[in-house]
Formats: sequence, structure tokens, C-alpha cells
Amino acid sequence: MNALNLQGVGHAYLGRTVLDGIDLAVATGEIVALVGPSGCGKSTLSHIAADLIEARAGRVLRGYRRHTMIFQEPALLPWATAEDNIAFSLKLAGVPRRQRAARIADTAARVALLPEDLRKFPVELSGGMKQRVAIARALAVHPDFIYFDEPFTALDVALRRRMQDLVIDTCAGGQLSGLFITHDLQEAARLADRIAVLDSHGKGVLGIRPLPSAPAERTDATNFDWVQSALASDPLFRHIHDVDERQIT
Amino acid sequence: MTTRRHGTLLPRLADRIGRVLEFLWSGWAGLAAMCLLAAVWQAGHEAYGPFILTSPVETLQAAAALASDPRAWALALTTLQRAVTGFALAALLGGGLGIVAGYSPATMRLASPLVTVILGVPPIAWIVLAMIWFGGSDATVRTVILIAALPVVFLGAARGILTRDRGLDRMAQAFGAGPLRRFLSVGLRQTTTTLFPGLALALGTSFKVAVMAELLANAGGIGGALADARTNLDIANALAWVIVSVGLLIAVEYTLIYPVKGELDRWRRAAQPWGIRR
Ligand SMILES: Nc1ncnc2c1ncn2[C@@H]1O[C@H](COP(=O)(O)OP(=O)(O)O)[C@@H](O)[C@H]1O
Ligand SMILES: [Mg+2]
Repeated sequence: MNALNLQGVGHAYLGRTVLDGIDLAVATGEIVALVGPSGCGKSTLSHIAADLIEARAGRVLRGYRRHTMIFQEPALLPWATAEDNIAFSLKLAGVPRRQRAARIADTAARVALLPEDLRKFPVELSGGMKQRVAIARALAVHPDFIYFDEPFTALDVALRRRMQDLVIDTCAGGQLSGLFITHDLQEAARLADRIAVLDSHGKGVLGIRPLPSAPAERTDATNFDWVQSALASDPLFRHIHDVDERQIT
Repeated sequence: MTTRRHGTLLPRLADRIGRVLEFLWSGWAGLAAMCLLAAVWQAGHEAYGPFILTSPVETLQAAAALASDPRAWALALTTLQRAVTGFALAALLGGGLGIVAGYSPATMRLASPLVTVILGVPPIAWIVLAMIWFGGSDATVRTVILIAALPVVFLGAARGILTRDRGLDRMAQAFGAGPLRRFLSVGLRQTTTTLFPGLALALGTSFKVAVMAELLANAGGIGGALADARTNLDIANALAWVIVSVGLLIAVEYTLIYPVKGELDRWRRAAQPWGIRR
């Protein structure tokens, strides 16, 4: 059974159709990157898949046990310290109180947060540290599916690479599946198993391309070559850097 | 929200003690302001004589006399009880309605004209009505307080819900929080930013309105004592009662409102460079 199966999903905001006839499957243990220009409905699709909003049409089948989500902005509770923010997801997942401290320490170490950072409030943390807390919050509950909604867009290049590496390492065990939304093809080529391209008007998935090797085995050189040849010769990727004309009109 | 462990207990305690010390230090500024007020008061006293304005010292003596009089304590406690219960009613009702209105636009559209009407009616009219309904009882005073303090609490709560960060709601939902959990852990906490100024304002209003309603409805308490002082043209006593009611308000504010606010605003202080760092 697939971890996630979207069948003919459609959605409309206030009568304006933003998604129509989306079919997409994520196999267990697989990361599927969803790329498309800004405003084409990627976030909306992930919100439908994660049951945050209800689809107007189609079916969503979830074969995973527990999902979490990492958003573009950290979305931390400003009144809670970093560790209490991580504890928030643990509490919602029903992790017993006595186990939480150990879980927080483990996860914080994985995202390279220091113990003294854990006692700080979000206002005292840099943008990158905030996003790392958000990632720790998503990882702490040991989900088997993660929705990534352009999580690293706001980070600088070096930090983005480190966070991508973290995702690659985390997923390398094969326990985790995910839908990774991005508009950066380079990023998609780095950490996904397959890349799906969403139509720039949300009218279906235009196509899906598998990547030649497992993410952990790829190098920067192979990724770069893949992206270059994809952009040059694959018509599927022709429009992914377009801007959304609907938002301008 | 808090995961209390031994590791965090000590810094939290230090933070709290720091806050108290900071507060005591700010007391010096308050003392200076009081001295200034006393000086102006003394000047007024010397210009107009004791029948118009008694001197600060005499007034303080009158207040000290009240402090050693058990009957005066009973009067002050009556007013305190009425003000605090009236405030609690307004806080619960106004806060509850405001939160509902914040979540439900239909309720908000219905409630905001009503709030405008309530705000438009002069408090004195409510006192007259309440006197007719309840006579000179606790209920009269509480009703007037409720009506006078309700709008600010309502608006504070509703604004807090309306201006909440929806991203946090979405985040909580994505992590599996149902509507009730989202409200309790994310929504309610965010309203405090606007609800607390409203509550502080409502508390002040409660005391002022309590004394006024007591005076006009002849319902005893500090207002009743003020009415007696007026009949006897006893300026020192009247001013002493004013001092008592201001003192009560300050005492309640610093035992009820500020500790809670300090606790809720710990993260805001953390952003300030002079905040005590852990
Ligand atoms: N809550 C909303 N109400 C109305 N329109 C929305 C809402 N959220 C998104 N949209 C619109 O739906 C379209 C898709 O948005 P989104 O899913 O955020 O795109 P993406 O994540 O690909 O940038 C955009 O045109 C956007 O303006
Ligand atoms: Mg988006």
C-alpha cells in the first residue's frame, strides 16, 4: 500500500478553481518532490493531503501511521521556549511526560541545537535556529510521513544545504516517506526519489520523473548535471520557473 | 505548555525574583511621583485653607484612623467584595462572549452594535435602573460594574481571537490538535495580548463604578462612607476614603493582574536586551 494516494483531487477557493484532477502517489519509504511555479496550488494540495482542509473533489488515501508538517515559516509558539515548542508535538502525540525530555534532547542533537538554545524563546533565536526547532518538532514524534512545504526557502545557502542533508539522512533508513514541496529544482533533485511537476494552473500533475539513484548516493556534480539536462531537454520542466499570472491580474 | 524539570526550576525562580526586584526598584519612581503630588496638594491646602482642602498630613492621619477602625475595614471589604465579584462577572461574561464573537463573525456582527449601545448609555442611567430593580444591594453595584466593564473585556477578547496568528492554528492542526485543543493551547493564549489590557482597564472601572454606585444607590461601602463625609463636610475623611479606594485598587492590581501578566509575558521580556537572561 502506498503511503499517500491522491485520486482526482480538486479544490476551489471562493468559487475559483485552484486544483483540478490531481493524481499523485507516494510509495512507502519514498520522498516525492512536488515542484511548480509559485501560486499553482502546491500548498493547497499539501493541506488537503494532510487533512488541514477538505478537498472539493477526489479522494485522499493515507497509508501511513502519523504525519507531521514543516512549514515555510517556522510557526513556533512565541510564548514557549524551544524545548516547549518541541514538546508541543510530543504532547499532541500522547508521548508520556517522563519520556519527553529524552526525546527532545535526542531530536535537538540531530538538528544541531545546543542545550542552551533549547531554553530560549523563539524571539531569541535566529531564523535558521527557529526553523531547526520547527524541524525538530516535526521529527520528535517519529512520524512515518512528513509534509515539507517549502521549508528551507527562507534559509541561507549554507544552512539550507545542512538541512537538506538532515532530511536525506533521516530518510535514508527507508522508514520515512514524504511529500517535499519546493519551487527549487536543484533542491528537489538533491533529496527526492521522484519529482512530480504540478501544472502552473493546478490542472493536474503534468508528469513524474524518477531520479537515477538513491539521494544518499548522489553528488553535487550528478545533481547539477541532472538538473541541467532536465531543464534543457525535458519539456516537463519548461514552465516551472514561470510566475503566476493569475496573481498579477 | 511547560515541561517542568529540575534543570529549569532554578532559572525560572531567578527570573521571578529578578522581576520582583525590578518592580521594587520602579517603586522609587512611584514614590517620587507621590511626593510631587503631596507638594502640590500642600500648596493647595495653604492657598485655600483646611475647609476646602485638608493638608496631606491630616488626610493621612484620617486614613490611619480609618485603618485602626474595624467598622471602616468592614466598609472597605464590602466595596472590595463588590468590585472584585463584579469584575469577575464582567471578565467571565465579557471574555466568554468576546472569544465566541472572535471565532464567529455572525456573533461579532450581532454583538458590536450592542456594545456600541452599551457604551453609549451613560453609567448613571444604569445605576438608576439597577436601583429600581435591586434597591441598595450588592446586586445593584455588581450589575452596574458588569455593564460598565463588559465592553472593554469583550472587545479585548474578541480582538485577541481575531488577530491571532492563523499559521499557529494550522500548525497545531497539522500536528493533530482538534478544535478544543487548538483553542486551549493556541487560541486562548494569544488573546491574552489584547485581553489583559482590557482586564486591567475593567478592574479600574470596577472600583470606580463600585464607589459611585454605592454613593448614589445609598448601598453602604466606601461610597456610603463618602456620602456621610459629604453630609458632615468632613474633607479629611472624604479624602482618606479616596486614598483607601485607590489603595485597594492598587493592591488588587498588583496581586491579581500583574503577576499573571508577568508570567504570560516572560517571552516578551526575553526579547528585551535588559531582560534577565537565563
Ligand atoms: N485561503 C485562501 N483563500 C483564497 N485563495 C487562496 C487561499 N490560499 C491560497 N489561495 C490561492 O490559491 C492559489 C494556490 O495557492 P497555494 O496553494 O498557496 O500555491 P503555492 O503554494 O503553489 O504557491 C493561489 O492563487 C492563491 O492565491
Ligand atoms: Mg506555498
